[in-house]
Amino acid sequence: MTARPEPEVATLPPVDDRERPRIASSTITTVIIFVLTAALIVGSRAISPAFGSWSQLETILYLSTFLVIVSFGQGLVILVRGLDLSIASVITLGGVLTTGWLNGSNEYAWALLPAVLLICAFVGALSGVGVTFLKIPPFIMTLATGIIVYSLSLGFTAGTPRGYAPPVLVDFMHARWLGVPAPILFLLVFVVAAVLVQSWSVLGRRLYAVGNNPAAAYVAGLRTRGLTISAYAVSAACAGLTGMMLAGYSDGATLRMGDDYLLPSVAAVVIGGSSILGGHGSFIGTVGGAILLTTLGTILAALGIEEGWKTIIEGGVILTALILLREQFYEALRVQFGKGRTE
Amino acid sequence: MSSGSVLSIEGLTKRYGATTALSSVSLEASGGEVHAILGENGAGKSTLVKILSGAVLRNSGTIRLAGAGYDARSVLEARAAGVATAFQELSLLPNLTIGQNLLLPRVSSGAFLPAGRRRILAEATAILGRFDAGDIDPRRTVGELTLAEKQRVEIVRALAHGTRVLILDEPTAALPDTDWLFRQVRRATEAGIAVLYISHRLGEVRELCQRATVLRNGRSIGTVPLVDVNDDQIFQMMVGRSPQSQFPARPQVPADALPVLEGRQIAGGRLRGIDFVLRKGEILGFAGLEGQGQSELFRALAGLNPRVGGTILVGGKEVELSSPRKAMATPPGIAFVPEERKVEGIFGGLRTAENISLPVLERISAAGFVTSRRDAEAIAESAEAVALARRYFGFRMDELSGGNQQKAVLARALMTGAQCLVMFDPTRGVDVGTKQAIYALIRRFADSGGAIAIYSSELSELVHLCDRCAVVYRGRIHAEFAREALSEENLLSAAHGHGAETRERRAG
Amino acid sequence: MTPIRSLFSSGAVLIAIVYLVLFAIYAIAQPSALSAFSIQALLNNSLPLMLAAAGQTFVVLQGGFDLSVAGVISLANVVVAVYPMEGPGGALVNLLMVCAIGLAVGATNGLLVAYLRIQSIAATLGTMIVCQGIALLILKAPGGHVADWMSYELTDSLFRVFPVTALIAIVVCLLWLVFRRMNVGIALYAVGRDETSAALSGIDVRRVRFTGFCIAGVLYGAAAYMLAAQTATGNPTAGEPFLLLTFAAVALGGTSFSGGSGGVIGSVIGAATLMLMQKVLFSTGISSFYTGVFQGIVMVLAVLFAAAVLHLSQRGRASA
Repeated sequence: MTARPEPEVATLPPVDDRERPRIASSTITTVIIFVLTAALIVGSRAISPAFGSWSQLETILYLSTFLVIVSFGQGLVILVRGLDLSIASVITLGGVLTTGWLNGSNEYAWALLPAVLLICAFVGALSGVGVTFLKIPPFIMTLATGIIVYSLSLGFTAGTPRGYAPPVLVDFMHARWLGVPAPILFLLVFVVAAVLVQSWSVLGRRLYAVGNNPAAAYVAGLRTRGLTISAYAVSAACAGLTGMMLAGYSDGATLRMGDDYLLPSVAAVVIGGSSILGGHGSFIGTVGGAILLTTLGTILAALGIEEGWKTIIEGGVILTALILLREQFYEALRVQFGKGRTE
Repeated sequence: MSSGSVLSIEGLTKRYGATTALSSVSLEASGGEVHAILGENGAGKSTLVKILSGAVLRNSGTIRLAGAGYDARSVLEARAAGVATAFQELSLLPNLTIGQNLLLPRVSSGAFLPAGRRRILAEATAILGRFDAGDIDPRRTVGELTLAEKQRVEIVRALAHGTRVLILDEPTAALPDTDWLFRQVRRATEAGIAVLYISHRLGEVRELCQRATVLRNGRSIGTVPLVDVNDDQIFQMMVGRSPQSQFPARPQVPADALPVLEGRQIAGGRLRGIDFVLRKGEILGFAGLEGQGQSELFRALAGLNPRVGGTILVGGKEVELSSPRKAMATPPGIAFVPEERKVEGIFGGLRTAENISLPVLERISAAGFVTSRRDAEAIAESAEAVALARRYFGFRMDELSGGNQQKAVLARALMTGAQCLVMFDPTRGVDVGTKQAIYALIRRFADSGGAIAIYSSELSELVHLCDRCAVVYRGRIHAEFAREALSEENLLSAAHGHGAETRERRAG
Repeated sequence: MTPIRSLFSSGAVLIAIVYLVLFAIYAIAQPSALSAFSIQALLNNSLPLMLAAAGQTFVVLQGGFDLSVAGVISLANVVVAVYPMEGPGGALVNLLMVCAIGLAVGATNGLLVAYLRIQSIAATLGTMIVCQGIALLILKAPGGHVADWMSYELTDSLFRVFPVTALIAIVVCLLWLVFRRMNVGIALYAVGRDETSAALSGIDVRRVRFTGFCIAGVLYGAAAYMLAAQTATGNPTAGEPFLLLTFAAVALGGTSFSGGSGGVIGSVIGAATLMLMQKVLFSTGISSFYTGVFQGIVMVLAVLFAAAVLHLSQRGRASA
């Protein structure tokens, strides 16, 4: 009779006779990150007395809002086994459309601001369609979309973005509510909502399934293509939102305003413990990664370090995170210290 | 013709993390002997093969080859020692030519020299000629070959390098007959080479081999001369208990029960026109040698083969099964249990409960949100139906054993509420205890009015589980047996294309 | 497979046909394109991308993606502009410098991907960023000065007829034809197609992958070298545009992103085609703002093209 190929023994799972499931590696990572960030902030006192203070913490949280929002979108795309290299251009698009259309006035802001978000989401959906229906590798598709969008922004502004952000946005970005800057409160609300959506909602569950095993997701009857496209759409919408907020923050837009967020968004997701291969990770880790990177950035800037070093450190941090955060590392830790030791 | 012990293995152990694949396995083969290695799936045969081939390192134990220690740490080192393997999952590269494949990894004589086409042709032709395979043109690309031709090339490659030990892992799986292979094996034994022969086909094993070592759960149970044991005794050694106890009796299915799933002239790819009817409450089995079209058929029924020709009727209505989603949604609902759970079945990084509750997320959610408690409540009944212990709910799926993973996949299929299950080799790579649970589930499902279409490569399963069994041969249903006529011999002979009345020479 | 079919399933042949057709259209619209000067200029512009695409092929063939091309080119370009060495001997020293840089980065990538088993996109993203940072440290803004010998001689023609750049391109292609038949070349195709079978056939998968990345790095260095010769200046972000264009060139050349099929010659011609397309676009007078739109669309079409080529070549084979 037919030979039944034996299952690849190397991938036979461990015998499941332990009492409790293992602690997820992502939990360990998240804890490490927040501890590291706290250590950095406190340790930076050594640089200057102005550091390690509450006001520095406030600044860091404020600045990290932008990266956190963008990283959520990037995280969703990475979750479904993709990579979004277009977010720099979409941030620019968001900023440029906001200042270009509203130009310092609140007129029709209630319609135009959501319209900007929708346009950005549409751009993301296009990337998603290219990835799912045309089977174009994600990083190439988003690279292409990014270049197209940037070029359109270039044409739209004829090379020089003019105009100002609507006052409602500017005021929001500079307001203080309950003793803290409004954007920080927004950050809190956003993080809570994002975590709920990613880890606890039906949509989030399905996205994890698609990212974990796209073939199995299809067999299980999920709308894999629709789910993937929506991840890209959300990512672009987040980028657009960030662009809007940045425009409010600086009361204007520039063509390269998104550049500082692309690679850090990937870094934040990877450092935060999400697998670059998709299907794993939680947004809390990403938030930690984003805050850590922002902290690092502000400290480096304060030390007067050149941009070159900053970039090197960023790349180095990504590489270190990739090397250290492989599952083998955690397996080794567990075998050494864990109670779930079977033999 | 024996010339003393050539290969001797003692206390061989291999662990992968917390799993022990081989535990103190011992084996001894003489020069000129054809030594069979028998065992169920998961018994450790492929690990043993990989260690001997140099592909995997052992943890402990000694291997001696012609008196000297053997410690091959790469395929090349194994070859240098005269050990070569024809792997069950063929190890040929489809994008290279036969000649290149045969000469890999040293296609060219020098590290910095380009390989000359004529030299490759000459050497490859010589190799093929040596082993009666001169009809194969070494200039052809492996991707173009039929499965049988590929298998022959794989075996020829092993024959060429196996000057002391030749390991053949399921070598006849795709071959039309055994004449050529047996001839080459006999010539090898005449030259004093020790041959390790791994096969599920006891008939072949008896014809070719002198002794057999049986593995079970990573241990070597014993080595027996084949003339001294009958098939049942071998089976007992492989399984550890008598096979008959696994299958309780089954009531008859009324012939006028409603057809749940029907196929008319399903064609495309390897399929040449399949007709079948699956009725409510029925277990319809499918048997067939590898590559006869059964995989395409089942995938078509699952909605994974949308462009298949012919007609499929679900619940009496003609439907185009364009996706698994559609198949699930068409009443009475078709749920698919795929062949390879790692590839298409499980979500390794998600928790078991999350895996199982996937089809009913919307139903169990509150305002669009789900919690692990809701998961557990929802899946409780299905988990019990497959005998999956509650404590696994919170485990990550890839922390479970293969058997428990398969149970979870089945539980998820049950959760869809589908009244028709289409299962492709559901007991593959699963321990004996889980097999029992799966058989019980299949029985209960059919008894309560569900319909099951099941393909299995284990004939004994089909014989004892099914109400009827269709045999797929060359893309068509070659024969169909009702329960009274179901026997492993009948199925096997029909699977080879013989008439239903003819008894195949080889016993299953 | 009929001869016609097998011809059309070769990506290199297809893209060569596309190139010739495009060039014919261009020449008809602008007859001055056929002048020796014009052809030389076109080749000079194309060579950096051709070399980069050639290098990228060694990684895509093994089923990976090498994002570090942008970083290596930026870094090597900057080094040549900041440490120019005069004369032909100096040009050689400069060449060795860039090749060393490329080799170092390639070796790092190889280590990360082949030995530490990190996914190639992620690892090369990291090395790209680090290289980019080092480039910024060496040269903060466009500037520097490339050795005269390089910028004059290497962009010139031998005997006034044969552009040096054409010679270099041909040499690279010839070297590839040899490599493709060497054990390591065959092994590269094997690893890209099926790593497990390659290992079971006796191939040292890790070493082959590592070698592929190293060769890629050296070629990126060479690309940066020719870019410096071409632009006669250093630019710390010189590598940025190469990211998209390199993959577009490889795709146009018919090398599949799933690995195991394609080749350098196709990538080189694909690069030439891309540069020709840019030139044609420019001459049509489209606002330079919108060239990006066309680049992006071409990129997408290129990938679809590569997929179509693969599909065609597989359809001509019997299914097993």
